[in-house]
Amino acid sequence: MPVPVWRPYLLLATSLICLVVVLFPFYWIVITSILPTEIVLSRNPPLLPPLGEITFAAYFEVFARKPLLTWISNSMMITAGTLAITISTGAMAGYSLSRFRTKAQQAMGFGLLASKMLPGSLIIIPFFILFSKAGLIESKLGVILANSATAVPFATWLLKGFFDAIPRELEQAAMIDGCNEWQAFRHIVLPLAAPGLAAASAYIAIVTWADLVFARTLNSKPDNWVVTVGLQSFTGEYLVEWGALMAASAVSLLPMLVLFLLLEPFLVKGSTQGSLAN
Amino acid sequence: MGARRQTYIAYGLLAPAFLLVAGLIVYPLYMVLETSLRVGRAPNVARLDRLPLGFGNYWRALTDDVVWHSAGVTVVYAVGTIAPAFLIGLLLALLLNRDFPGRRWIRSMMLLPWAVPGVVAAIAFLWMFDSSYGVVNAQLRKIGLATTDIAWFVHGDTALFAVILPTIWKCFPFFALTLLAALQSVPQTLYEAARVDGASPFQIFRNVTWPGIRGAAALALVLQGLWVVKDFDLVFATTGGGPSRATQTLSLLVYEEAFQFFRMGQASAIGVLMLILCACLAYLAMRWGRKDFH
Repeated sequence: MPVPVWRPYLLLATSLICLVVVLFPFYWIVITSILPTEIVLSRNPPLLPPLGEITFAAYFEVFARKPLLTWISNSMMITAGTLAITISTGAMAGYSLSRFRTKAQQAMGFGLLASKMLPGSLIIIPFFILFSKAGLIESKLGVILANSATAVPFATWLLKGFFDAIPRELEQAAMIDGCNEWQAFRHIVLPLAAPGLAAASAYIAIVTWADLVFARTLNSKPDNWVVTVGLQSFTGEYLVEWGALMAASAVSLLPMLVLFLLLEPFLVKGSTQGSLAN
Repeated sequence: MGARRQTYIAYGLLAPAFLLVAGLIVYPLYMVLETSLRVGRAPNVARLDRLPLGFGNYWRALTDDVVWHSAGVTVVYAVGTIAPAFLIGLLLALLLNRDFPGRRWIRSMMLLPWAVPGVVAAIAFLWMFDSSYGVVNAQLRKIGLATTDIAWFVHGDTALFAVILPTIWKCFPFFALTLLAALQSVPQTLYEAARVDGASPFQIFRNVTWPGIRGAAALALVLQGLWVVKDFDLVFATTGGGPSRATQTLSLLVYEEAFQFFRMGQASAIGVLMLILCACLAYLAMRWGRKDFH
């Protein structure tokens, strides 16, 4: 049966319509952030922005009035710390589970399942008690550890899938050439698993960046807030300044959207091997 | 290279992750169980272990109307999110599995909501559904579907629906992503054979496509179901559980008991019951779909 020439274009048109609906909230965040307050607070906001009215005042205002840069840098440090812990321990554990089959495999499987089921609002209770006693309240380390708790089993399992796809003969050849096990892992296996490391890092960065419950509960001082906690504090205000809030939202979204668009092909591959997102 | 050395390496590589999981998941879980047996209030958590032990919290949780109400809200919230999100995800996966120009970019963009933090999704929808200045009400007024301002997140009748919308928006990309990956693993030869046999598109979907993706679909449903049940950010940042508990899911109730009323024991007991329920549902769903998992 020959495919009609117009078929791909019909599919394209359908996809574009879906895309407009899906992306509308992003569009509306940006539009609101670049229009003056009179237009933002109008009963009938125009769907297309009047080009002459565009202003970046809301961006200047929100940076001047709120410690947005501090929040973003807190988010970045916590995300970086969580990534460092989870990717290093997850890569070693995933490699171990892929190459040596032991009882620990079942234990890790259980740990993974448990971490998938744990609601953040429940596990935060023992974290709060533990970290209060250990003096880790109002510190980034506490939030990093809390985020790592659920991310380590996930990273381990995802990376195990990628290591499984790398033939063992490669390390064996390297060891015959004089590498020890660690060198073979470090110089041969890890570079080949780079797409897996990228996928796991992207997943974990996105989930950690989004965390609200751990950061909010373990840090109460505004200077220690991460960007999600800071944004959420806006909504509690009596008079919400939507333009400024949308500007702050847009700024906070940017790093994760760029990361996602760059790494999306790896994520699709990762989801077939791990099937474990969120 | 000896077998013993191999074993050392195997366990050595596993040890850091194992210690983290033991210290940050297993031990805290044990603490939750212990705390759930501590009856009473302790504003200072250091004094928590001086409270008497007993099953009072569980008894209170199981006989409390508020808990049952929250359980009901959680079920409506989860089903109301998962069913449409799955359908949207499946349709988009089928669409994106076809060949057309620009597919690669459209796919990436379509999945973008997944990368949005729950708080930001919540804020964006709060603004779009604002009663006075929101774009949704403005458009509804324009086409004549609404004559008054609808206070989507503030009114008890619409609040749960309003909270479900951003949850669907954040959750459908995961279905689209996993189902698309599963679709790409269905052998093309099966489709060709079905077409040669003169099967209709619906028959092809039922007999070729669906069996090929059923396992992935079951797993995705379980994972997303668990995710929605335990979700905190979206509900907390939109309505905070209100108005008058209309959107108070179990997850929010647990948090409120613990960090507003400092009834850590009561909160833990509700949380443990919630976990047991989740574990049972996950077990049943996995057993139901077991033959499809590979």
